[in-house]
Amino acid sequence: MNTLVLDPTQDPDQDLQMTNQPREVVGTHFLYRIDNDGLCWMTFDSPNSTVNVWSTESLTELASHLEHLSHETALRGFIFRSAKERIFIAGADLKSMRNLPSSGLQKLVWLGQATFDRLARLPVPKVALIRGACAGGGYELTLACDYRIAIEDDCTRIGLPETQLGLLPGWGGCTRLPRLIGTRRALDVILKGRLMDARNALRQGLVTHLVPAGHAEDTARKLLKQPVPSAPHHWDRSPLVTPFLRWAARRKVEGATRSLYEAPLRAIDVVTAAASHSVEFGLQLERDALNHLLMGSQAQHLIDLFFQREAASKHRPAIGVAMPVHNAAVVGAGVMGAGIAQALAARGLSVLMTDVAPEALAHGIERVRDLTDTAVRKHAIDRKTARDTLDRVSTSCTPVPLTHKQIVIEAATENMALKKKIFADLAARSAADTILATNTSALSVAELAATVPHPERVIGMHFFNPVHRMPLVEIVRLPETSPDVLATAIAFVQKLGKVPVVVQDSPGFVVNRILMPYLLEAVRLVEEGVPVERTDNAMLDFGMPMGPLRLLDEIGIDVANHVYHTLREAFSDRLPALKTLDTLLAAGHLGKKSGQGFYLHTKAETKAKVFSATANPLDADSIQLRLSLVLSNEAALCLHEGIASSAGDIDLAMVLGTGYAPFRGGPLQHLDSIGRDYARSELHRLAHSMPAPNPFTPAP
Amino acid sequence: MKTPALYIIDGTRTPFCRMGSSLASQTAVDLGKNAITNLLTRTGIDPAEVDEVILGCVGQPPEAQNVARVVALRAGLPERVPAMTVHRNCASGMEAVFTAHQRLCAGHGEIFIVGGTESMSNTPFYFSRPAAEKFTTLSRARTFGTKARAAVAFRPADFAPVVGLKLGLTDPYSQLNMGETAEVLAREFSISREAQDAFAARSQLLANSASHIHQAEISPYYLQDSATGFINTDNGIRADATAEKLAKLKPVFDPKWGSVTAGNSSQITDGAAALLVAGEDAVRRHGWEPIARLVDYAVTGCDPKRMGLGPVRAMDAVLHRTGFTLADMDLFEINEAFAAQVLAVMKCVKDPAAARAAGLDSPLGEIPTEKLNLAGGAIALGHPVGATGARLILTAIRQLQQRDAHRALVSLCIGGGQGAAACIELC
Repeated sequence: MNTLVLDPTQDPDQDLQMTNQPREVVGTHFLYRIDNDGLCWMTFDSPNSTVNVWSTESLTELASHLEHLSHETALRGFIFRSAKERIFIAGADLKSMRNLPSSGLQKLVWLGQATFDRLARLPVPKVALIRGACAGGGYELTLACDYRIAIEDDCTRIGLPETQLGLLPGWGGCTRLPRLIGTRRALDVILKGRLMDARNALRQGLVTHLVPAGHAEDTARKLLKQPVPSAPHHWDRSPLVTPFLRWAARRKVEGATRSLYEAPLRAIDVVTAAASHSVEFGLQLERDALNHLLMGSQAQHLIDLFFQREAASKHRPAIGVAMPVHNAAVVGAGVMGAGIAQALAARGLSVLMTDVAPEALAHGIERVRDLTDTAVRKHAIDRKTARDTLDRVSTSCTPVPLTHKQIVIEAATENMALKKKIFADLAARSAADTILATNTSALSVAELAATVPHPERVIGMHFFNPVHRMPLVEIVRLPETSPDVLATAIAFVQKLGKVPVVVQDSPGFVVNRILMPYLLEAVRLVEEGVPVERTDNAMLDFGMPMGPLRLLDEIGIDVANHVYHTLREAFSDRLPALKTLDTLLAAGHLGKKSGQGFYLHTKAETKAKVFSATANPLDADSIQLRLSLVLSNEAALCLHEGIASSAGDIDLAMVLGTGYAPFRGGPLQHLDSIGRDYARSELHRLAHSMPAPNPFTPAP
Repeated sequence: MKTPALYIIDGTRTPFCRMGSSLASQTAVDLGKNAITNLLTRTGIDPAEVDEVILGCVGQPPEAQNVARVVALRAGLPERVPAMTVHRNCASGMEAVFTAHQRLCAGHGEIFIVGGTESMSNTPFYFSRPAAEKFTTLSRARTFGTKARAAVAFRPADFAPVVGLKLGLTDPYSQLNMGETAEVLAREFSISREAQDAFAARSQLLANSASHIHQAEISPYYLQDSATGFINTDNGIRADATAEKLAKLKPVFDPKWGSVTAGNSSQITDGAAALLVAGEDAVRRHGWEPIARLVDYAVTGCDPKRMGLGPVRAMDAVLHRTGFTLADMDLFEINEAFAAQVLAVMKCVKDPAAARAAGLDSPLGEIPTEKLNLAGGAIALGHPVGATGARLILTAIRQLQQRDAHRALVSLCIGGGQGAAACIELC
């Protein structure tokens, strides 16, 4: 460590007063200055990086600085801040942690706790000035301080997201947060794992003050002059109460996750126990639990997905220049069109929504308004932001010039003839370099591109329904798509806060291509006499957010059937012909929207229908294996055919696009988890025991 | 020196809706924003190309002083594009067009969004001056005693609101309500109640049969609280209007002797209109195909008690400046503030005695009924005061296009004793 002590005076007479002179110490990750008032201003500034993270090096350095400061007799107060513009501390350095052996991980867990504990024991009042992202271990540092001052800024985000990554706050978060805001609220913050903006953080008690930028330092100085108020008393930390809280929280989490996720349950145990015992005991529990979770596969899969998502959200293609997009048009004011328009407007783009009739536009506008109103009601945005969002959406039911739009997204009904007509019209009304995107879920983008001049600006952009909740967008690139258009589309999707995955123009792209055989196999189970509920429950237990048959009802049997036929044209050797879908269609049982499909949907309840008089005795494990193998095998085929560029992309697309059990890491990761040889032999068995065509022939 | 010509590229407007009806929830800002957003959409121009936004508005919303600026920002114009609100009472929307031309002549910009916006439903109610003083005293009171004393000073009459709309429609100089000025004209020029009602019925029926022309101007207004989710028709038009039915209405402004009724006056209405106008160079540079050209215009003053005669001398001035005669005009669009007032104007341009009374040396000729307000007027469509001037120009252009005609004279009377007139030609 290269520390440098600057001596401000050469006059030996003044040496006696040295302790009252400003001093500055410059380290690698930190620099601190002790001013005339005896206040230590510690600044975290990792070299050659735009972020601050906790690594073995940065923690060790801070620990050593704190050790020096503990001998500083003239110290009156301590202020911690970050030199980075948009990041306070982003948490632990997960990237370097992935390469650490288990002993290294355990050491790191201990080091974090020890360092923050040393800070907590520093015998002066301590303040953290939080501006920018303050997540996980970053927030746990501030918990060791007496005051947490959040600075008003759009990039200030505070929270403990560990449980989302299959971990738990193990550097004092589980122990100190309940002491600060009470056990119940601490459980809520830790289990939700959501990062909050500064206003919400103040409301939740995560920070003690919220101040405008420019006033933070003065506020800190004022606070450090006053005696530290004694810790608040929280009745729900009582050992009489915490066992009940533990029971209630576990019940809730077990219900919501079918007990599939380990981290939240461990977090409940640690938080409730730590709340009513000593800090030392709490830290011990945190350490044990975290060491255990770090060794498990769930955390590994969730962290892998996190990195894949981060990479996709920041991905810049090697060639091609992304053009800025601030003016867009959406053709079609249906559920998808309106959803896309709202997503665009919410991110500051001017968007023109067009449709053929004012009636359709009225519905579209109403949907945009409903989504925006809901966001206001949930405190996600304020009224002014909502008004500005709505102001940015304009409408037209007549053909208007589109020459100033950088991108036009067609979101009409899935009908090739109609889409071709729209594209011809769009090409005539737009500039030669306006990107023409189609939001199709299965139709051929190439066929559409062939109909317009300058096909190099045509791209597929498959948003998922509901647009405001689904983070995935499949970007369909054609061989003729220009690198600039692809780069622009990727940057555009990222600007919307969505995750782009680039796929090739192949029927169903990645998500629907992999999902459809799985859904059909579930229908085949129905035809084999397996009760609807058993199939759906088996897959819920596997970790899917919804059973396949229930999902078919939600999508709509007619829509699913349309995708099925598009795919069957291409994959007739793998997709079975099933009469149940036709029967349901003929009867007008289109799923939830028509009141029944595989289920009976009434206002009061949703009840599975009985399709066969004699129940097939197939057990849940066999159902899970069969259906999960369909997913994994189709995913392997996609990878083999090069539909997506990497296994990670396919796994990410399936998790974000269908909710595929995140703790399993995705269908391809799952294949590795159960063993590829085992999977192959099971696939062979199924391929031979099922009537052809079936989707079980193993991918090469 | 030849003055640069101002071209009208395109225009649109919101539906015009009676006060307190479908658009009552919308402020002047909302209405104006809607008109301009739709104008930008229709024309497809880049908002950054616009040099200034100029809007007329008579009753400036208290929450949005310089309403044009608020409208412009909310309609997505860049922050660096300036915006101003102009006020010439009933001619404000037309004044915006004139102002754009003057800016162009002076070399201050060449592309403008002009028009007007008015929400007469949202005209505020005020407190009287004595009441306001009592409120001030109360707000300044600190101790219980002074507070109590300030509170008991209020009298029930203090809570009677002063109706902003009524104030706005009264000329403070002559102390006459607009309707009363119409009564003055009806008496002076012997305009009978029957003639007024017949004219009003004509306006309603023409407006109704020309609704497809109005439809082409209107951009649908999407509003959640309307039954269909959008409004795209003017709601003041009465297709079943007849002179007989109108004859049954009671005079409003002079119940005993008067002849001006709610039926033969313009309606109080919410609405906004916007036009994209530009100089010749800009038109050529962008390859636009303008729909019309502003040939010339004039604003003149007159007796505030007879403000309805405003168009007479304003039209005279335009004819002088252009060298045209009334016979050269294919169409006339004279705002129907009151049937009595339009009929008085027609009489004054034709009848020598009346012409002298209106301040002309000699009659101008004749405004043939078959060339006047052929798509109806404010009696049927309503008169959102700030927006009407722009609406008249837009309506005149659509009329000319519809009838394969070339030149129109557009004019309106202005509360407070003025008249404005503009001559436009199709391109």
